[in-house]
Amino acid sequence: MGWLRLAFFGYIALTIIYFLTSIYSRSVRREKLEKAWDTDPAREGAPLAARQAFIDTGMAKYETGLKKRLLWLIYILPTIAFVATIYFVNWT
Amino acid sequence: MWTKIKWGLRIVAVLFIGAFLHYTLPQRDIVHVINTYNKNTPIGGNWMFYAIEDTGTGVETTATIRDIRFIDAVFPDEETVVVYRNEDTGWFWPPYFKWDSSTLQAEAQNLKSDKANPEWVAITHYGWRMPIFSIFPNAVSIAPVAGPDVRLIPWINIIILSTMIFIGFMIRKMWLQFRERAVDPVLADAGEVWDNVDATADAARAKASGFFGRVGAWINTWRSPRR
Repeated sequence: MGWLRLAFFGYIALTIIYFLTSIYSRSVRREKLEKAWDTDPAREGAPLAARQAFIDTGMAKYETGLKKRLLWLIYILPTIAFVATIYFVNWT
Repeated sequence: MWTKIKWGLRIVAVLFIGAFLHYTLPQRDIVHVINTYNKNTPIGGNWMFYAIEDTGTGVETTATIRDIRFIDAVFPDEETVVVYRNEDTGWFWPPYFKWDSSTLQAEAQNLKSDKANPEWVAITHYGWRMPIFSIFPNAVSIAPVAGPDVRLIPWINIIILSTMIFIGFMIRKMWLQFRERAVDPVLADAGEVWDNVDATADAARAKASGFFGRVGAWINTWRSPRR
């Protein structure tokens, strides 16, 4: 039963980390989009609605992009490390 | 005075983390095994430094006396000796997930050698030997090496420590991002309001400084606006 307990609490912890990291990653992307718009001289004086639309499109792209999917590594890497540790400690 | 206390706490924290890592991370000794045996070992206040009870090596006897496997070994100077315990670690801490202590004991037995014909092995272990508390490092694996002078590169520790540094760096970056995007704008807004109320502005600013002040100010923004 030990492994169930470990898996349960381990994945709860990883889920918390996953959410915190995804909030962070989204925030970084949004900031990047905002800065890209604000520093572009061609867009100076453009209406606020256009800026909002630009950011929304960028964020929609982010939600389906590779970077967002890479966040699954937060679950995958510890699982691999766990299995690898078991293998190397007990079978080699 | 306050700075001294702050630095004192920091130094204690660093020492504590350092000791914790030194205890938990694997180390390798180059030794030759001279004896392997089991011993009924009483466990009392030093339980923290033994396997937790439900790992399999402890339940055979009672909780206070445990039949534990030991491995005696000698360092290449042929004088310094070391005693390892050989216990399963189970599912939790430290996360070695070791269940092969019987096999390890047999391997150690097989590699036993004497002073005349020492057979050098690298024993991976974690933990400390502290005679006053009767605690022993726990052997994790054993592997023959070419000779007493081989140089082992601690890859596992390099990986673990770099991962930890990376995680610490990320936590810092995440905190700074959170502060920049969620906390500081709120403080700026609040500052503008306070500027209109000269008398309270300074007091409010002082309250909103430092770690908890910022967090508190941020949490306040989730409350419904004052009527």
